Amino acid sequence: REIVVLANGTSSISSRVLLFLFSHSVIPNCQFRSKTSRLKTFTANQLDEIKDPSGLFYILPFQKGYLVNWDVQRKVWDHLFGKEMFKVDFADTSVVITEPYFNFTSIQESMNEILFEEYQFQAALRINAGSLSAHRYFQMNNQELCCIVVDSGFSFTHIVPYCRGKKMKDGICRINVGGKLLTNHLKEIISYRQLHVMDETHVINQVKEDVCYVSQDFYKDMDIAQLKGEDNTVMRDYVLPDFSSIKKGFCKPREEMNFTGKYKTGEQILRLANERFAVPEMLFHPSDIGIHEIGIPEALVNSINNMPEEMQPHFYKNIVLTGGNTLFPGFRDRVYKEVRSLTPTDFQVSVLQPPNPISYPWEGGKLLAENPDFDEMVVTREDYEENGHFICEEKFDI
Amino acid sequence: GVSPILLCRSSQALLVWVGSVAAQLFSVLSLSRVAEAGQRRVLDDATRQRRLNRQLDALEKDNFQDDPLSSLPPSGPTARLPAFSEGEEPGKKKRKTRGDHFKQRFRKNFQTLLEEENVSEREEPNYLSAAAPPSSLPPRLFCSVCGFPSSYTCCSCGGRYCSTRCLITHRETRCLKMTL
Repeated sequence: REIVVLANGTSSISSRVLLFLFSHSVIPNCQFRSKTSRLKTFTANQLDEIKDPSGLFYILPFQKGYLVNWDVQRKVWDHLFGKEMFKVDFADTSVVITEPYFNFTSIQESMNEILFEEYQFQAALRINAGSLSAHRYFQMNNQELCCIVVDSGFSFTHIVPYCRGKKMKDGICRINVGGKLLTNHLKEIISYRQLHVMDETHVINQVKEDVCYVSQDFYKDMDIAQLKGEDNTVMRDYVLPDFSSIKKGFCKPREEMNFTGKYKTGEQILRLANERFAVPEMLFHPSDIGIHEIGIPEALVNSINNMPEEMQPHFYKNIVLTGGNTLFPGFRDRVYKEVRSLTPTDFQVSVLQPPNPISYPWEGGKLLAENPDFDEMVVTREDYEENGHFICEEKFDI
Repeated sequence: GVSPILLCRSSQALLVWVGSVAAQLFSVLSLSRVAEAGQRRVLDDATRQRRLNRQLDALEKDNFQDDPLSSLPPSGPTARLPAFSEGEEPGKKKRKTRGDHFKQRFRKNFQTLLEEENVSEREEPNYLSAAAPPSSLPPRLFCSVCGFPSSYTCCSCGGRYCSTRCLITHRETRCLKMTL
């Protein structure tokens, strides 16, 4: 019997069919349209087939982190489960699928219908991504009782405390800053200061991932970024792709940078200085851009303070960072530094960033599927057909 | 020699003359600045808030450009467009969730779903209560032109700037443009 574990996020789906050992794949969870081939809609990893990804148009099934567009989601899943990828035999397969926190009842019910009535999976387990991360964490650290998971993804960031495997709803905090906001802000400031790139989400997303970092000393970096010439160690030049000779953008190494004049080659260059660290700073201070919310370190302290006093030291010792935004260089150290400065010295603070923060929930799902109790956690199709949504509501803690 | 009284008088006159020229210059400059200040439109708080909200909403968008598909002419009965999208294999078993009911249920947007959820009526932690509270620290302010820390606010629109050069750029490009 096969089990498909789908970490179904806004940006990407991590998935793998277990018993058949396909390569673990992470594919984009959306459809694309390009200016050049207007009639064709590309689904998920067909992105690689697009010859000219300039002005790429995104069609996402998620809005503000919740699954609203089932048409698009079904197209992506059809592709994932179909003959080009996993060739799933639904009648014989169980699925573990992730959902956002406080997912709306109507969306949960639609999910049940799609999984059981349309795809007709044999059994399903719907669970929060953070719960899978917590499960994975407790597997590695089985003497720990509590952990607090930071899931910073495309749509938003959630801070969720877990105690003995159960999420503590009172401590859940949602910051409405995610990768999408960071990329859009970067597009805006580049468009205002240098070059019009508002249409180039895909390219600027790549710029963000290649060049942005989290500063350990914000004002010091600001001062360095204002220096001229070679003294400005923060400044970098990024070569934009032109999709004919340069397929993918890249950051020029410092040795090749021209500090005095203009470049002689025909490349399109973006010169980035304070943008490099000011953009990820929004995760720590959303008020920088006018969003009146606390940042990640403050939210961590806030959530933990809402927990019973005897548990608080345990949470501080077990902070886990997951999600794509944690991949910025310096992220983990900065979170540690800020939380440490906000916490009394008698608490021990420990922040873990796993080697692969994007697939960490998926790894948890894999462990869960291998767990002997797995069969009791799922709802089978027969269960659903007899009892309807009620049985899913009872069994799944979303 | 020159009579001391005459000398005093002439130096006085000189001073008076210099003074009057300076006063004229000053008044010309200040008049222009005053006139400019009087001419420059000042946005009220409500308009400023609307602008800020519009900027924040723009950050939520998935795409800045329009759908390339929507710019194509609509296909009439005569225009046969080749269908490149993933075709359904013939003979696929009919799914239960087809038809108008499907379209109605599965295509709502986020705001509608949130309202339907009726979250505010619940006691327990929910989507709205999980939202992060505002920070107790004051916001950091950055120049809207160059991104470095800013100390000054534009009188007209409330935008921040850090230096005169950035102010001039701001006034020319963004200040009162695109106001609701």
